[in-house]
Amino acid sequence: MSSIVLTRVDLLGCYYREAKFEFLRLWRTPSFVLPSLLFPSMFYVLFGVLLGGGRGGNDEAARYLLASYGVFGIMGAALFGFAVNVAVERERGFLTLKRALPMPPGAFLFAKLAMAMIFALIISLMLGVIAVTLAGVSLSATQWLLLLTINVIGTLPFSALGLWIGTSVSGQAAPAIVNLLYLPMAFLSGLWIPLSILPKFIDTLAPVWPSYHLLQIALKVVERDAGGSLWMHLLVLVVITIAFFAMARRGLVERG
Amino acid sequence: MKRWTEVISIGAVVGVLAIAVLSRQDHGSQSTVAPEPIASSTNSFAVRAVRVFDGQRVIERTNVVVRDGLIAELGPDISIGKDLTIIDGTGRTLMPGLIDAHAHSWGDAQRDALRFGVTTEIDMHGDPARLASVKSQRESLAPIDQADLWAAGPAVTVAAGHGTQYGLSFPVLDAQTKVDAFIEKRISVGSDFIKLIVEDLSAYSSTQRLPTLNARQVSEVIAATHQQRRLAVAHVSQQRTATEVVEAGVDGLAHVFADEPVSDEFLALAKQHKVFVVPTLSVVFRAPMPGNAASLLSDARVETVLSAAQRTSLKAKFSALDRPSVSPGLAIENVRRLHAAGITILAGTDAGNPGTAHGASLHGELELLVQTGLSPIQALRAATSLPADVFGMSDRGRLQVGKRADLILVDGDPSQDVRASRAIDKIWKNGFVIDVSAAAQTVAVAEPIAGATIISEFEEESIASRFGFGWQTSTDSLMGGASTASMRRIVGGENGSAGALEIRGQIKPGFAFPWAGVMFFPGSAPMRAVDLSARHEIVFQVRGDGREYSVLLLSGANEQGMPAMQSFVAGPDWKEIRLPLSAFAGADSSIVRGIGFSAGPPLGEFRFELDRVELR
Repeated sequence: MSSIVLTRVDLLGCYYREAKFEFLRLWRTPSFVLPSLLFPSMFYVLFGVLLGGGRGGNDEAARYLLASYGVFGIMGAALFGFAVNVAVERERGFLTLKRALPMPPGAFLFAKLAMAMIFALIISLMLGVIAVTLAGVSLSATQWLLLLTINVIGTLPFSALGLWIGTSVSGQAAPAIVNLLYLPMAFLSGLWIPLSILPKFIDTLAPVWPSYHLLQIALKVVERDAGGSLWMHLLVLVVITIAFFAMARRGLVERG
Repeated sequence: MKRWTEVISIGAVVGVLAIAVLSRQDHGSQSTVAPEPIASSTNSFAVRAVRVFDGQRVIERTNVVVRDGLIAELGPDISIGKDLTIIDGTGRTLMPGLIDAHAHSWGDAQRDALRFGVTTEIDMHGDPARLASVKSQRESLAPIDQADLWAAGPAVTVAAGHGTQYGLSFPVLDAQTKVDAFIEKRISVGSDFIKLIVEDLSAYSSTQRLPTLNARQVSEVIAATHQQRRLAVAHVSQQRTATEVVEAGVDGLAHVFADEPVSDEFLALAKQHKVFVVPTLSVVFRAPMPGNAASLLSDARVETVLSAAQRTSLKAKFSALDRPSVSPGLAIENVRRLHAAGITILAGTDAGNPGTAHGASLHGELELLVQTGLSPIQALRAATSLPADVFGMSDRGRLQVGKRADLILVDGDPSQDVRASRAIDKIWKNGFVIDVSAAAQTVAVAEPIAGATIISEFEEESIASRFGFGWQTSTDSLMGGASTASMRRIVGGENGSAGALEIRGQIKPGFAFPWAGVMFFPGSAPMRAVDLSARHEIVFQVRGDGREYSVLLLSGANEQGMPAMQSFVAGPDWKEIRLPLSAFAGADSSIVRGIGFSAGPPLGEFRFELDRVELR
């Protein structure tokens, strides 16, 4: 009787509380919060503002880099948030424990995803403030809103990818694996330095990286994209999200 | 079951990424092989991922957008509108169209120059009649198959001095000339700058001397030019005269002198006066082959674009004067020292002279400049931004936003190996692609002949002709000789007509085959070819001092070919002479450039009159 009431009444509460405590837990983990929030801003200041000449400097470059470091930031938050945490929690038996709790299994994923999106939001806002104040970027309200939306929704494919990594490797291996994927991918898809000034073969192969497609969508907002089709980029990201989520789900079922 | 999920998922990821990569390459290659008609019918395009030499420095990888004939955007991450033809610049270098800082442009010169990526020539001595059109052409952004000109008009020289031998008629200085008014007139006629000639031939010959400007005239010309806020550029061939003109305040030298090693005093003087030097090694450094012609003729990238006339011109040599003018080593060493002392060096060829070809020779000059110690980048600056700065060309010489899209795209990196400037892939003039292949095949497009048969009857006050460019004196001074000729319209002609053309002069030693007389140019410009295949004979009335004279027919693809000749005698009474064109052995009547009437040996004075000259 009571258990039925509990599930009915507290279903939303479960989602909310799981997300809330996930947030508190992450917020109190400086080794996650600091790099996730500060690296994108720091890189943007270094490359986009200082090297780009700051206000009155190369506006085209500042706009490109605003979009690219946004993607860089949210990709990090999603990958690390999922891969490392899921791997550690899985190892420590939290997942098994949680499965034993009267909590909907989706709440666990929802909490993690919400965290990725909240961090994405914070990162985007920080970059936005830097872009306006230091780099002299001016965008319309619609452009700002679109960029913000792209960054928040854009966490989905990288969350799926992170989740899959988290379910596949040990807690110790996860940070190394993520870094091994995250940093080269960021560079090779033009997140740090525009592809146009990188060697031709990097430019040619850039579309193999999921981050390239999210970057191109973000660049369309600031009119700095390479001219590819929006639908192509969306298709790639959707397929990646579904595929890695499917594999992660299978992994969770198999290995718990 | 587990297998299936992963196989499908991974398969889907790999598949979609493969499609993404392939669709991107499709996108790229489509833009690269954009159809030519679109490319040449528009003056808007983009070049992506290209190395840029902007006239000053090299930008390794960037994008350039040209809109409506002007450079609109430049930067590594600018977006390229989908409406634009995109050219892939990978492995290539985009740079401003080259500027030849010393040329003599007539006939097909501007077309020839453009075919080699020389989009602007600075004409150091030429026809004043074209000055007006020169300005409107270079200010226009309309499609054109010619290089633009900055021009001195005719050089300032004295009667029978250097510069008067090329069949141009123009006013010269004499002892009484008011120099201020003379120069003011030149500028008002349209000269962009003033070229003065100080040349007595003593660097080239131990016996022959030419009259030339004296020190007072040099000073006055330079002062008057500066009064008009223009540049004064001097032709000199000796350190002595170079010192004289620099002390008089000249702005630049049109050649490097190589009669002796440049002295420390001259270096200090030149530096103090901030003069620039256009070495024109292409003509100064001319042993064993003239200039750098051998290098150009043996380079397939150049050879295949040369017209037949250009090929002959490159192989031609100056007439041999007895004093081996300069040693190549001395010319190179002098440029090296001038450059090392910080003197501004500009790339110029003196094209129009034997051993050169418009356009092609500038690539040879760049190579020679590098041999004298300029770095490839310094040599490229000497053919782009530096001449633009010196001559006040604000719209060109640099690849910057807002500048005219006079551009060349070359394979490789000329800032490393300057010979890569010859590997021209594309040329744009005013943003329009130049069709090089088609131009090279049109060797000499002869103009159709006008309907009239009569060239001149000399009934009016002037000596104008009914068609063609008209009459000019022509002597062997072109080949280093010393013969003279003058012409004037006189009252009273054949069979009671109102007037005739009198030609008189003197045959003097100097050239192995001396001649002097007049030349009629049937084309719209001197030496411009005309198709006379529909005409049969030259008919004219003549009388004179009883000498034997010749009619010369200049024809063929090559402007410097030997004329075909027929002789006639000018007796004391008027007589009609008829010479069939077929009698001129070796002449090609479909490409006729000039018809001459001239005296030859023996030495001495001559005089004859011409009237009612016809081409039937």
